[in-house]
Amino acid sequence: MTKQGEINFDTLKPEEFEHYLPDLFATGNGKVSQDPRLQKFLAANPDCAALVRDLETIAETARSLFEPVGDPSDKVWTNIQTKLREESARASNSEAEDDEVKEID
Amino acid sequence: MNCEGQLLMTQAPPVRPNPGLFKRNPPIAGEAEAIEAAKNGDAEAFSKLYTLHKRRVYTLCLRMLGNVSEAEDMTQEAFLHLFRKLSSFRGESAFSTWLHRLTVNLVLMHLRKKGLNLVSLEETINPSEEDAPKRDFGSRDSVLAGSVDRVALERAVASLPPGYRMVFVLHDVEGFEHNEIATMLDCSTGNSKSQLHKARLKLRELLRQNTQSPQPAASTEAVK
Repeated sequence: MTKQGEINFDTLKPEEFEHYLPDLFATGNGKVSQDPRLQKFLAANPDCAALVRDLETIAETARSLFEPVGDPSDKVWTNIQTKLREESARASNSEAEDDEVKEID
Repeated sequence: MNCEGQLLMTQAPPVRPNPGLFKRNPPIAGEAEAIEAAKNGDAEAFSKLYTLHKRRVYTLCLRMLGNVSEAEDMTQEAFLHLFRKLSSFRGESAFSTWLHRLTVNLVLMHLRKKGLNLVSLEETINPSEEDAPKRDFGSRDSVLAGSVDRVALERAVASLPPGYRMVFVLHDVEGFEHNEIATMLDCSTGNSKSQLHKARLKLRELLRQNTQSPQPAASTEAVK
């Protein structure tokens, strides 16, 4: 990753821009298209501007995927209950055995 | 790489609440009471926690694994783990954030057990040449026109190579920071940024392809 201080925004070339892009997206609010330092470059390089717009759109739409898509099937809860019952029974047996050992002692 | 030690919730360093995640995970009515009751072994309260969070946990598993059956198995594991570890939840972060982190860690452990431990995670994250995004800007004719259909994106995410999908889901969907992802995946922050960028480039490529050709039915399986 490159430090942004190294970027010369006045002489930036599209290949360099692509190299810096992951870092540019990672800093600030991720709105590369609104970065004042890049306005001149993006205006002069419409393909880069289109790329930035697309990647921003993807990132924005991704947030909507946070909402759940569906429920797990009922068997998941049934399995959880079964396993917890088994664990609880094992724990009870183990406690009973411990008590027996104490009584013998 | 000490995955096991790193991935156990109880051994993780204290997590500072992430304001972004709190915004996305507002407190749910009755949740705090259910947590306290479940800590004391109240089965009904635990059932309530399951009802409140099953969809989010299942969706997270499904997105990370891309497979319904595995996602259900991991949902089951996540809640069993939750039951055992609930007493260690001290409310330093939102409960759903804590549960998400626990789930992510379990899924990562599962993936490593499945075979990802045979190669380094860096290699696993880096997909083959064929899967890697094309390194070109593309033509402006086929830009995504400022809007992406949620369903189309969901489908494209499901068809991402696993390593790309993981970083994309963790960062762009779940809201984890690069430094958090780097810790979880045992990679550098720079690597996380780079993989996220490649994932987005790959998604752009997939979405543009989809707008140009009809979607094959098989690729929708993973998101059903």
